[in-house]
Amino acid sequence: MKKYLLPLLLFITFHSLAQEVGLRHRRSWYLPDHLKLQFAGNIGFLSGGPGYVSRNQTLETDLLFGFLPQKYGGDALVTTTLKTTYSPWRIGLKNDYYIRPFLIGAYLSYTFGPQFDTKWPSYYPAGYYWWATSFRPGAYLGGKAGRNVVMNNRRRSLEVYYELGTYDLLIISYVQNKSFLKLHDIVSLSLGVKLGFN
Amino acid sequence: MLTSCDDLFQYNPNEETLLDKDKNLTARNIEKISRLPVSDTTRFILMGDSQRWYDECEEFVRSANQQKDISFVLHAGDISDFGLTQEFKWVNEIMTRLKYPYVTVIGNHDIVANGSATYRKMFGPLNYSFGFGHDRFIFINTNSREYAFDGSVPDISWLKAQLADNPDKRNTIVVGHVPPFDADFDKNLEKPYTDALASDPTVKFTLYGHQHRFYEGQFYDDGVNYHLTTSMGARGYMVISTWKGGYNVERVEF
Repeated sequence: MKKYLLPLLLFITFHSLAQEVGLRHRRSWYLPDHLKLQFAGNIGFLSGGPGYVSRNQTLETDLLFGFLPQKYGGDALVTTTLKTTYSPWRIGLKNDYYIRPFLIGAYLSYTFGPQFDTKWPSYYPAGYYWWATSFRPGAYLGGKAGRNVVMNNRRRSLEVYYELGTYDLLIISYVQNKSFLKLHDIVSLSLGVKLGFN
Repeated sequence: MLTSCDDLFQYNPNEETLLDKDKNLTARNIEKISRLPVSDTTRFILMGDSQRWYDECEEFVRSANQQKDISFVLHAGDISDFGLTQEFKWVNEIMTRLKYPYVTVIGNHDIVANGSATYRKMFGPLNYSFGFGHDRFIFINTNSREYAFDGSVPDISWLKAQLADNPDKRNTIVVGHVPPFDADFDKNLEKPYTDALASDPTVKFTLYGHQHRFYEGQFYDDGVNYHLTTSMGARGYMVISTWKGGYNVERVEF
């Protein structure tokens, strides 16, 4: 066994090195392109998870796992979120810095708990409540700034972003009550960081 | 501006985050009511179903503030539409512009998602009572459908105990959201509930919301008058006057 082990290790090391030589599409397709960590935004106090980016780097899709501790939310809530963000313009700056001044996106979140319903129980007539309380669709605008770096001989990027978002139930409330509600009443801020692997 | 900073970051639509000024409102408003002067006639307003009608609710407040000799306002439930804390806060912000204190009874929409937990923190118990002048008000959760008609809501034994606890024989006014003849009220509890009211001679009338229309009648031929107020969306409320042995209901549209 031992005599096979060293060549095997060497092969694995060499193989993985060969994969890393600046060729991002040689990464296995299923490995995430980036990781994100987000603060606020109605999907948890903190949420984080992997994501993928389109080849031209303008479209990102993330799967985030969020948690809201009781201390900050009055109730401890666990949420999973699928979000897609489009940022069409990239402006390169000095020293590998860049900004993507505009981003727009949408998400669908699911909050776990017996008090939240996806399909209302049979003791409600059909359409009694028209919305699901577990799923929440939302949308946001924002921007981000980043820098390409080399870490351990590998290309990486670090980005920070902000998003101003709202969700379906607040949008409906706003549209029907434009005298009492102002836009800032239904919009909230979220902040995040992204570590890109290519 | 204070409210917008308070809500700059939001963590979940169902979070139950409240500032101290938004907590324990029922007890605080009853305390304000208890300090009001008492006269032979008490005048108060019954309104309800403010759910997602904030603009109309603001107009209600302007109209209510022009009424004469009002002591307090009763909100007949469905404060919120989606059971969100944010909605409860918005309605409270509007209702605190009233010149009078207000108290609430919980509606079916206020129980959705984390709504009843937020209601408890923000207002207080789901069943409660207080006395003022010649009257005693009993607020009871009648939203049976939200509890799958499991027989627990409305709490008949609690109601009977409250009715029995009336040594001064004051007028008793029971306030709920869903009236007992509505499909959302537990059919098995309809008769025990209406019998409990009818067997108490101090109960002359009882107040509800929920159906978004003015409606009244002695539906059970038992001497008890049922009055429903309409929604904020339908721009109406009631001014009620009570005195020893009598009362009057006036409909107002705004």
